[in-house]
Amino acid sequence: MSLLRIENLHVDVAGQAILNGLNLTIGAGEVHAVMGPNGSGKSTLANALAGRPGYAVSAGSFSLDGVDLAPCSPEERARLGLFLAFQYPVEIPGVSNMELLKAALDAQAKHNGQEEPAAVDFIKRVRQTAERLGLNVDFLKRGVNEGFSGGEKKRNEILQMLLLQPRLAILDETDSGLDIDALQVVADGINAFRAANNAVLLVTHYQRLLNYVVPDQVHVLTSGKVVRSGDRSLALELEERGYGWLDN
Amino acid sequence: MAGSTIEAALRARLLQLPPSDYAPWFDRGAALALLEREGLPDWRSESWRHTNIRRWYEAVAASPTASGNGVARETAFVTAPKGIHVERFSDASAAELVAEYGGLASVPRSAPLAAINAVLLGAGAVVRATGEHFAEPVYIGTAPAEFQRLLVVVENGASLQLIEEPASFTHRIVEIVVGAGSRLTHWRRQAAAENRECSLVSVHIEADGDYRLAQSSQGADLRRNDVQVALAGKSAQATLHGAWRLDGSEHLDNQIAVVHGEGEGLSRQIYRGVAADRSRAILNGRIHIAPGADATDASLTSKNLLTSDSAQVFAKPELEIHASDVKCSHGATVGALDAMSVHYLRSRGIDEETVRALLTNGFLREAIADAEGAQQLSLLR
Repeated sequence: MSLLRIENLHVDVAGQAILNGLNLTIGAGEVHAVMGPNGSGKSTLANALAGRPGYAVSAGSFSLDGVDLAPCSPEERARLGLFLAFQYPVEIPGVSNMELLKAALDAQAKHNGQEEPAAVDFIKRVRQTAERLGLNVDFLKRGVNEGFSGGEKKRNEILQMLLLQPRLAILDETDSGLDIDALQVVADGINAFRAANNAVLLVTHYQRLLNYVVPDQVHVLTSGKVVRSGDRSLALELEERGYGWLDN
Repeated sequence: MAGSTIEAALRARLLQLPPSDYAPWFDRGAALALLEREGLPDWRSESWRHTNIRRWYEAVAASPTASGNGVARETAFVTAPKGIHVERFSDASAAELVAEYGGLASVPRSAPLAAINAVLLGAGAVVRATGEHFAEPVYIGTAPAEFQRLLVVVENGASLQLIEEPASFTHRIVEIVVGAGSRLTHWRRQAAAENRECSLVSVHIEADGDYRLAQSSQGADLRRNDVQVALAGKSAQATLHGAWRLDGSEHLDNQIAVVHGEGEGLSRQIYRGVAADRSRAILNGRIHIAPGADATDASLTSKNLLTSDSAQVFAKPELEIHASDVKCSHGATVGALDAMSVHYLRSRGIDEETVRALLTNGFLREAIADAEGAQQLSLLR
């Protein structure tokens, strides 16, 4: 069974049709990249899958491990194993990163019928993961993304992904705004996450990230539909010829 | 004023009460004269626009002392570490301290309620800390009377912490004098209650004195806090942190004024409130900079969250500046929880109710995060 299956998905935002019959299937152990010009619907796809309010599914379906996600709340989707690394991670002063991680992991444990992780183990795991991503452990006590640089915010998303270990990680332009060193750290995090029992959907504007995280398949979106799919060479070809090439 | 109103009836009753046998040394002449002359404020008074004071008058009228039943035997309700001078207000020896310091921190706006307090007073204490740093705090607990009065003096470079614990009363006055180069940190914890209460905290700070207030409040059937802080000496400092959270039909009215009377003073006011359900919160925050209080640095911020359509928040900052070379800023906002923050946390698998609690706590925490000993303020849930 495919891990993520999207069929004929139509999504409206503010009354405007953005996705117009999108089909996409991702199997376990696979990394897929979705590329496309500005306004093609890449981020809408990511946000609609995560259940962002205002992203209305007008037709079609999408399921994770065979479970229809459309009727699920954002938190239910997360507990079923969907994770979105936000393009613009939200700053939340007053709520610490540690609080967020604890609440998220507790919710996951409860959903899975497990005990909440012991405080000592939890803190140790968080610290180790933060260090691996080059995030200063002092950041963990600060407000969520509060005063973080662009690169730190993106690394914080990867931190959450590594701790939550979702079935499907959707990374919405996680590469944008990163310098080359930060890109390497983020890519290492994604590669470490890759496993036979999960999948990754990379939403990106540029080919650059795909030098570090090599996808199994590349899909090109135009006007809210997948207009072409291929292997990694499709991304390289796009880089060389531009998205305009697809119109011809 | 028509004789049939509750305020007129209460005033008449107060004026007819026999002389109190509580703290007979305490001069109530001025209070009675004020009641006689000015009567009691009603809903037409600007200061009572959002709080129906008649509901408080009803509570006053129902109190035993107002019925002429005298006061209960006074028991100690102040706990203080060794080295601090504490006396019952009823002791004749308290008279000296009250004569020396009482009235330094007077608030004309609150005078009618203070006059009622004087007439019906049934419990009180005088606390004086001098010359040293006291690590252990002074606690003010529950007193055996509805009308209470405290005088707290910190002087000669002393530093002290004062904790007002949740307590029931109808009216409480806390008069505070922070002497030159002295320091008082004042925590107030006000738990949810069903009573109707008013309190007055009146603070007088002398040169280089430092007063810090951290107040965390839930509401009551009617709860009104008047806080007046006078920076009466050069380079005095006042920092006021306030966080409140109201549920159900709770009511909380905070009237806070900082008066810069001398130059080079510094005041900071940081308030945050959350109003849920059908609750009602009022914050009137005022900064007054008197002539000659040059080079004053004052600021006030008030941020409020409404978590229900039926809750109400009235937030009004006021500035009055009569001096020069002054830095002064204020701002007040009223809003709802940020939808994107809610979604972000929910997308991590956290249910909506927990998300709202996390965000609300975080919002309130911002108001008292910098307050010394913020962990003492256990309103966060």
